[in-house]
Amino acid sequence: MKKTLSAILSLSMTAALLLQGCGSGKKADAPFVPKYDKDTEFSLTVAGSYSNFESLEAEFERFYEYYPNASLQYVTMDDYNNVISSALVNSEPPDIFTTNSAMIGDEAYNDMFDSCEVLSDPSLDIDYSCIKESLIRTTDSGDVVMLPIFTTSYGMLVNMDIFEKEGLKVPTDYKELVSVCEKLKSAGYESPMMGTDRFSGTGMFNCFVYPMFAYDVINNSDKVDSLNALDPSAGEVMRPSLERLDEFVNSGCVDVEKCREEITDEYEAIIMRFFEGDVPMMLAAGDVVSGTAKRESKSDAFTAHPFKYRFFAAPAGDDGGYFINSISICFSVNKNSRNIDMANEFMRFLISNKELGNMASLKRLIPPIDVFSEDDLYSALADIPDDRSFSDKETGLMDPAVRQFRAAIFAVGNKEMTVDEAVASYGSIPEE
Amino acid sequence: MKRSLIITINLLIMGFILFIITSYANTKADESYENGIIGFEKMTMTTNRIIANYLEDEQHLCDIWANYINLSAKDGVPMTAEDAVSFIRKAKTTQEIDGHLIFPDSPDRSGVSTAAKVSDPDDYTVSYKNIDIFDNIESVSSSGDTVNLTRAYTNPMNGVQSIAFYDHVSVLDPGSGQLEDGLLMRVVPLSSLEQKLVFLKGEYENVEISIVDREGNYVVHGKSFKNSNFFEYYKSYNEASAEEYELATDEIAGGTGTMTIKNSKGDDCILSYMPLETMTTWVLLAYIPLTDLVASRSIDWLLLGIATLGFLLLLIFNSIVMMTYNRKLSEAAQQANQANEAKSDFLSAMSHDIRTPMNAILGLNEMVLRDSRDDNIRMYSESIRTAGNTLLGIINDILDFSRIEAGKMEIINADYSFVSLLNDLVNMVQKKAEEKGLVFTLDIDRDIPGTLNGDEMRIKQIILNILSNAVKYTDSGSITLSVHAHDLRDKPDSVMLRISVADTGIGIKPEDLDKLFVAFERIDEKTNRNIEGTGLGMTIVQRFLGMMGSHLEVESEYGRGSVFSFDLEQKVVNRDPIGDYEEAFRQLSSQRKNYHEKFTAPDAGVLVVDDNPVNLTVFVNLLRKTRLKIDTAESGDECIAHFRDRHYDVIFLDHMMPDKDGIETLKEMKSITDTPNKETPVICLTANAISGMRKMYTDAGFDDYLTKPIDPEQLEMMLLQYLPKDKVIPASGEEDTEDNALPSFLSDLKELDVDAGLAYCGDAEDYLMALEMYMESADKKSEEIERYRAEGDIKNTTVMVHALKSASRSIGALELGEFAARLEKAGDGGDKETLDRELGELISRYRQLARALEPLRGLTL
Repeated sequence: MKKTLSAILSLSMTAALLLQGCGSGKKADAPFVPKYDKDTEFSLTVAGSYSNFESLEAEFERFYEYYPNASLQYVTMDDYNNVISSALVNSEPPDIFTTNSAMIGDEAYNDMFDSCEVLSDPSLDIDYSCIKESLIRTTDSGDVVMLPIFTTSYGMLVNMDIFEKEGLKVPTDYKELVSVCEKLKSAGYESPMMGTDRFSGTGMFNCFVYPMFAYDVINNSDKVDSLNALDPSAGEVMRPSLERLDEFVNSGCVDVEKCREEITDEYEAIIMRFFEGDVPMMLAAGDVVSGTAKRESKSDAFTAHPFKYRFFAAPAGDDGGYFINSISICFSVNKNSRNIDMANEFMRFLISNKELGNMASLKRLIPPIDVFSEDDLYSALADIPDDRSFSDKETGLMDPAVRQFRAAIFAVGNKEMTVDEAVASYGSIPEE
Repeated sequence: MKRSLIITINLLIMGFILFIITSYANTKADESYENGIIGFEKMTMTTNRIIANYLEDEQHLCDIWANYINLSAKDGVPMTAEDAVSFIRKAKTTQEIDGHLIFPDSPDRSGVSTAAKVSDPDDYTVSYKNIDIFDNIESVSSSGDTVNLTRAYTNPMNGVQSIAFYDHVSVLDPGSGQLEDGLLMRVVPLSSLEQKLVFLKGEYENVEISIVDREGNYVVHGKSFKNSNFFEYYKSYNEASAEEYELATDEIAGGTGTMTIKNSKGDDCILSYMPLETMTTWVLLAYIPLTDLVASRSIDWLLLGIATLGFLLLLIFNSIVMMTYNRKLSEAAQQANQANEAKSDFLSAMSHDIRTPMNAILGLNEMVLRDSRDDNIRMYSESIRTAGNTLLGIINDILDFSRIEAGKMEIINADYSFVSLLNDLVNMVQKKAEEKGLVFTLDIDRDIPGTLNGDEMRIKQIILNILSNAVKYTDSGSITLSVHAHDLRDKPDSVMLRISVADTGIGIKPEDLDKLFVAFERIDEKTNRNIEGTGLGMTIVQRFLGMMGSHLEVESEYGRGSVFSFDLEQKVVNRDPIGDYEEAFRQLSSQRKNYHEKFTAPDAGVLVVDDNPVNLTVFVNLLRKTRLKIDTAESGDECIAHFRDRHYDVIFLDHMMPDKDGIETLKEMKSITDTPNKETPVICLTANAISGMRKMYTDAGFDDYLTKPIDPEQLEMMLLQYLPKDKVIPASGEEDTEDNALPSFLSDLKELDVDAGLAYCGDAEDYLMALEMYMESADKKSEEIERYRAEGDIKNTTVMVHALKSASRSIGALELGEFAARLEKAGDGGDKETLDRELGELISRYRQLARALEPLRGLTL
């Protein structure tokens, strides 16, 4: 029933996309038609911080079908955030480069943004209407200089085989979560939920309650400025989510100490621990999930006993979980590119439901479009009602405010502060 | 050979040649491929050398900087970091190369750069805090390599992908006044290294070069190499088990060689790998699509394609030519068939045209023989019969051969009496043999089954042919016919006959044996020119035997004689043995009668139709003694008139008649219902003796057919078959006894063979008349011979001797006849001496015989 509902919802979302977004004069679903002579010889360099970008390399191959004489290369840049601005104006500048939402508003990246091509320029004919509007970032002047390629979210990986084996349903609200965890504990699972105890966005406390906090911020938009101003009085906005976190930590659903001991980093260790096969629910961000496919074969336990797993929103709320869609990575075009026309042509090719979907599917990340990846890893997110689905842009929070919240949950989750202390300390909570 | 077989063979040969070409091309392509691989490996080595030189040069320049700085320190005037960088700014000659002097032990791995930050022209501070390129400095330094090089990384000052050569320097810390260790880096844009490899594009346009460390991490990243780690890339696109993967990575990381891998598109590529000469911790990878190395193979395939096309064109051309020739051959064959049919038609016509008058000749001659009492006339008539039969034999041989050649000769098996077969043979041959003074002996197995199943006519023809030949080619001595039988183990209902004819004739030379069975080939033609024959006899024999599953065997000694033999399997109908045939035959011979009608049928009516009145006369006379009521008709219409009016017991109807032929006449007769002859058998008279006649006549509605010239005995036998039994009165034996009554003293005369004389003359009456005539003319003839001899007239002497020969033979004085024949031959050859020497004896014996016959005088009156 739920599967059917999911399918219907997915279809509904697709239909809505077609009718409202891509359908209203949109050409994103239309086959790509090269603008230039297919024999054009050119080289493009895409620079980024990913050490490995196979999904983009797959797109290069697809692009070669239209421009067989093209040569595209992905270059990993060391100390990316510090050098990208310089790289864009040096003697060998990249043609396309990755950006992210955190760079917006950061003066350190002003030069970088100055080097960006305005992708919303109609003359470029880049139709990005298939991308969720809530994920489009603009400059103060309203120009679009970066287009999201991947998005991420915060939630949990669920070992479906365990739930099937124990005859349990994946919990959809906090009450169910506690109940399920009790049953799992009695079935022998010491810590039904696990995650990495880190300060970062991948940290398990962040994955559990940040979406809830963001939801509360959206519903208290009048407090956003105070929050961004790190006004201690705005700390009260954090209270519901901090209390839920405190409740969660004390519920027995998660053994924080065990997590700290067994999961030593915020990426590979999470995945490899999950693949041990004895963790029913692993709190993780989408960026972590994207690394699962490659590591399946690296895990002896998983190779010996593979199991089915999916990504769900963490059921922190009384009414259910929250799906917050955050930009993971964007692409911008260097306006100083020696092949600016072909760089824009590649972007024109890439920004479509098909190619973005392909990339996300390969990368195991959430595409910025309204259609979830064909990989059903994320299909459960389609079950979350619209009123609890939103993008982080809608919160209006600036990075400092977010970091204060992370500091708060890190302190409360680790019993370093009480909820009251954390609320009162907003703006001055020690960060990592 | 069938066309499909020829095409198949052609295709096979073509396939074989193509296979050879393909194998050769593949071998060459493999060689080319191997050469390509070797060439590519050499290119990799060259690249390695170039890179090594380049790296050594760059390292050397870096070392010069470091040495200068370190020498200053050693000389007691150490440079500060700023001094050192200032020195490098002056020392370096290339704008794009930077010098970084950093302090790895400082918190931010910071230092000073020769160039300012792009983002801040006043900031020369460089930090490697977030760039992990120094993790393996210690291991690199301790490896003993001459080059100290970082992996490719992003120059933090300008964001350019670069590599850095480094060396350790000691500089003065202005704050503490102490020397501190720094790392001097010569930072070179990666593109500089790549430019050194531009030369490769000439020979290998799509070659890409990468440098990886032993873990597979890229130092220099080729554009087609995906992933951040070459081994990961290899694993992603190449299906390999864990062991194979480990083997491949170990090989690449530690060895030198070449392997085939798949790129991200699934295409086969050649990867050549070897450790960098100057930095053994790094591995040089050269990669090229396989198709770039084996491009030359396509040329071979092109040639192969052209060769294939050429062969196909040749095959098509040859097929067309062959088809044209075949069409011509087919036309020629058709013409030949038509010619053959024309020949058959000709033979048919010849058969008819010769046999029809022969019917009249031999039939009338038979009358003469029967009726004449004049010795000379009977002698002449006998010659006519011999010559006629010889001619008929020749015609029959030709017709038989023609039937065999046309494939129309059939073996028709039927039950037959073996004794009867022997009787016929002996009757036909013995007389001829004895005429030549030959002894004809029989060696017949008494256990031969009495009734067999086979083609009696053909068997008889075979044996007769052999026996006739034996008689022909034997001048003196004997001819022996042997027949023996033995049972067949696996065929209880059959018997194997071994039939052989041995003669004491002239024999056959070994070299002529092969010619024996060649049609129209006569052996020793020169010697045997006086012997009549077509050269077909043995050929026909062999063919008949072949059709019966046997073959003729010949053993011969030239001048001594021959033995012709064959085995013949026959089905047994009645196993009762024939007994002592030789004795039975001797008795039969002694009781041999001359012609006597087999029956009389005074109440039977026969109608005979022939457009030739002579033939009608012959026919009527042949049956005169049977007292049949014979009506004749000379045309179809006349026949039909008789057919309507009067009942006949048998009708003989000639086939070839003018206006309305026999078949048309028969058809009309069959359509007549108002006739007393509805059940009367109609027998076709025909001179056509070629193949297929029986079927043709029976299909046309005849009950049987009889070939012309008419064999009197066959005619009577046929009448006995078709006449109503109640109208047939068999011939009585008394008359025979009467006819056979000869004076007993004749049997005592040594010079006389009574049986032979009787056989020749027909009956006792005629024989006695012949003897009397011989006796009475002896004196006169003797005198005439002597007179001619006295006059030296050899010619007339010979003619007279010839007459004596014939007369003697006709009365059974065979030895005297043979003596005369020898002298006749001498006379023909002008051998006067022999005549003078032996003629007296001949005449003496002649007169002596005549005197011995004196008791006959007046006996026949």
